[in-house]
Amino acid sequence: MPTRCYLMAILAACSIALPLNAQASLKLPETVKVNPAALNSEPICDPKISPSWRKAQVIEGVKIRESKVCDPDNPALIAAAVKGTNNISMATLMETDLSPDTIIKTDDIDGDGDPDRITIKLEVIELNGRTPDFEGLIPTFDIAPGIQPGAWVFAPKTSGMSTENFESIRANSLLRLPSPVIRVEVGDIVQIVLENTHYLPHTIHLHGVDHPFTHADGHVAGGDGVPQTSEMFLMPGESRVYEFQPRQTGTMLYHCHVQTHTHLAMGLVGMIIIEENRPNNWLQTLNVGGGHVRYPSVAIQEEFDEEFDLHFHAMDKELHEIIQKYNDPRLIARDMNRLYDITDSTEDYFILNGMSFPYTLRESIIFAEPDQKIKLRVANSASEMLALHTHGHKATITHYDGVEHNPAAQITRDVYALAPAQRLDLTLNTTNDGLHSYGEGIWLFHDHREKGITTDGMNPGGNVSAIVYKKYLNEIGLPKGMGVDVSKYFTQEFHARKLPIWQDLDESGSLGAPGVRSGIDPETQETVTNLLIGFVFGLLIYLIIAKKQQVRGAMTGALTKLRGSKGSKAND
Amino acid sequence: MRSPSLEAQKGVKPMIKQLFTILICMTAFGSHAFAQDSADHSQHETMQHDAHEHDDDAHEHDDHDHDTDHDDHTDHSAHDHSEHDMDHSAHDHSKHEMDHSDHDHSGMTHGDGHMMDAPGDHSMLHGEDDAHAHHHGDHHHHHDGHLMDHEGTHIMGQNFDKLPSSCTSISEEIEITVRGGTKYAKKFPGVTFAFDQQEWRVKPCSRITWHFINEDNIRHQFMMHGLPRYLYNLGMFHLENTGPRKVSGTMIVPAADETYLVHCDISQHMENGMKAQLVVGNGGEDIPSIPGLTPYVINDKYEAEDLPQVPDTDNGKEKDSLTKQVTDFFNDNVPIAGISFVGLLFGLVCAPLFVRMIALRKRKPEEDTV
Ligand SMILES: [Cu+2]
Ligand SMILES: [Cu+2]
Repeated sequence: MPTRCYLMAILAACSIALPLNAQASLKLPETVKVNPAALNSEPICDPKISPSWRKAQVIEGVKIRESKVCDPDNPALIAAAVKGTNNISMATLMETDLSPDTIIKTDDIDGDGDPDRITIKLEVIELNGRTPDFEGLIPTFDIAPGIQPGAWVFAPKTSGMSTENFESIRANSLLRLPSPVIRVEVGDIVQIVLENTHYLPHTIHLHGVDHPFTHADGHVAGGDGVPQTSEMFLMPGESRVYEFQPRQTGTMLYHCHVQTHTHLAMGLVGMIIIEENRPNNWLQTLNVGGGHVRYPSVAIQEEFDEEFDLHFHAMDKELHEIIQKYNDPRLIARDMNRLYDITDSTEDYFILNGMSFPYTLRESIIFAEPDQKIKLRVANSASEMLALHTHGHKATITHYDGVEHNPAAQITRDVYALAPAQRLDLTLNTTNDGLHSYGEGIWLFHDHREKGITTDGMNPGGNVSAIVYKKYLNEIGLPKGMGVDVSKYFTQEFHARKLPIWQDLDESGSLGAPGVRSGIDPETQETVTNLLIGFVFGLLIYLIIAKKQQVRGAMTGALTKLRGSKGSKAND
Repeated sequence: MRSPSLEAQKGVKPMIKQLFTILICMTAFGSHAFAQDSADHSQHETMQHDAHEHDDDAHEHDDHDHDTDHDDHTDHSAHDHSEHDMDHSAHDHSKHEMDHSDHDHSGMTHGDGHMMDAPGDHSMLHGEDDAHAHHHGDHHHHHDGHLMDHEGTHIMGQNFDKLPSSCTSISEEIEITVRGGTKYAKKFPGVTFAFDQQEWRVKPCSRITWHFINEDNIRHQFMMHGLPRYLYNLGMFHLENTGPRKVSGTMIVPAADETYLVHCDISQHMENGMKAQLVVGNGGEDIPSIPGLTPYVINDKYEAEDLPQVPDTDNGKEKDSLTKQVTDFFNDNVPIAGISFVGLLFGLVCAPLFVRMIALRKRKPEEDTV
């Protein structure tokens, strides 16, 4: 009978399959190695940046210092920032992509050899935003390979396209996180002109900088930047002048004060530094991207060997995704103003000068030599505390929020706590005395809240960078002699969690990613077995019901046989 | 046993209902799309209308411009006295003259130009003066046809006389004034920036002089792509204004029927409406996502929100409650009149047919099995 044949076949298969599986499960799966050739590797230094930019050079009469980092600032840009876009040749200007009116420097009012009327034009630029034309973001700015949180920045007023060119969707190099560091002198008549090129209202609040509360007409002139108290919202297409004449020095902040809980976090925050008034003190008015200052002020040059601007920030992924979800500004306003709840937020991305590890190695290392005095200006614009730690060094806190701390009471330590919006000036002394420095090396500096050294929870990432002594810098400005090859961090796959970074720790790849078992894993095995048992029972029941007659016949036959045999026995 | 026909009858009622809803939905959807289409059309028409009216509007524009002027002047008096005169004599006479004669003060402001150069720094500006000489003299290309001046205008890919290989002569000479700014976006909900027109049509091989007037106090661009690269560097023709003023440039379009993208490339300006197309001859494929003109490739999802509303008023007077209730009911529940009634009639005629068909089909299989 065919049914019986089937049954037999199934039972036989089961009995063979089960022990086979059991045997396969004795051996654990092999390690699966990701072949480096399968990765989208990026060059460690940005290939679009000319190595000649690193050299000390003179442009437009501006003596620009050597930069030892792998991605230095464009020297033409520094020349423009020092002289003003109005005082340089058109050829130099066109190498910067700045607008001809971005930095206007005129009038030596106090007759000390430097201009005292400074006009700085800032635009509001969206990075990694949405487009109705294709799935994807524009213009793109990676904080780490493939990591593109939506952001807004104050950007120096530029000229031409917002992308590198028509074929590229990558942002023009001036359009980036963080908002640029601004430097002006005590006594300068400063005008920051905010041109709202964005689709939402914004303002500028000068945090810690000596400025008037309000001007007569809140439409034309800006004051404290608070729409509820000092002025109107600056709407799309409008511009406003924030004029001030600072009387005190210090490391300060500027940020948007419209819906500050979201707008500041989106990136509309930058450092502004008021320098001492000195003769012939032409300042590098903008330090785009922060980091090494290639044209420090007179006062800083007198006292320090190098100066670095370190702007720390953090981002909640959910907030930064909003501008990537909608094109209509009304929907973005709805989500940002009414649906997003900052009290439920968590920080996911931790950036130093707009970037996370490994890009911090490209442009935000502190390069040093023994017996130097280095000025670090540190700002924290995240919404939580920053616990900045320097390996191998104890630096001295000289200023809190721009105000000098009593020299006799200044504290030297290795974890520097910065409350949100707080600024510290640190003096990093590289004298190898076991206190200030433990000697030459590649010494990390990073947030010591451990999430700060991750990117969306994955390490290494976040705001990690390093103090690197010259001896440990290779010819392209990268730290050499690091324990492991850093190139694997310069891949999108690493940040997409697809690269088991421990696969190469030893020859056998003992901590790589496991593959899957050959055969069936125990859970599936059990499920299959149960399924088969159920199936067999099902078949049996069907057979019993469908062939009731035959079964009954067989039963009665069997019974009679039994009875017959009993009877015969009894009869015996 | 139940007769199959009885069962079929029982099933008929809910089925009619379902059919009805489906039909109504279908017709409603169809007529809705139709409505959208016609709305777009009307918008388009008004746009063109606007264009025609532009000259008459000139006065109004001037008034407006006055305002911006004023703002700038206050700026000015605040801190720029010293260079004011110097500037004029020092460098930009020719430019100013041109602006004045060319466009009756609609160039709006002389803007930041006044603030530009510090005393004693004129040597720095030589390069730029050269550029000006070229510009106003024989209009030859500077570098790669890239003109930028300290006044804040920027012209790229200008072409006065080089004929595209597909053209034997210039078909016509035209001047087109394009205005750009936030105010032109007001007629498009959810859009922030726009040009005053979203489409221009020209004959093949025409020589166009574009006058781009920026009416915002920020930077805007008029950037055209896809032009032949042997004539236009990177295939681009580009006018840019760092603020509220006019910039003009001339170019020649090729003979082929083609539609060219025109946009402002400042981050989110094109994405938020500053996008248009130039149609040469019969044109090519439409450029997507132009406000009021072509559909977006990727659309946002809109969900109704339960927001507090003030009761509707009709010319200030409240409608009497009955009319209001009736109109509200129709407004809320009957999306579009006309065409949906046709659909309804069609549905009514067809419904019995459908029902019979379904009943038949239902009966068949049942007959088969039994
Ligand atoms: Cu803002
Ligand atoms: Cu624009």
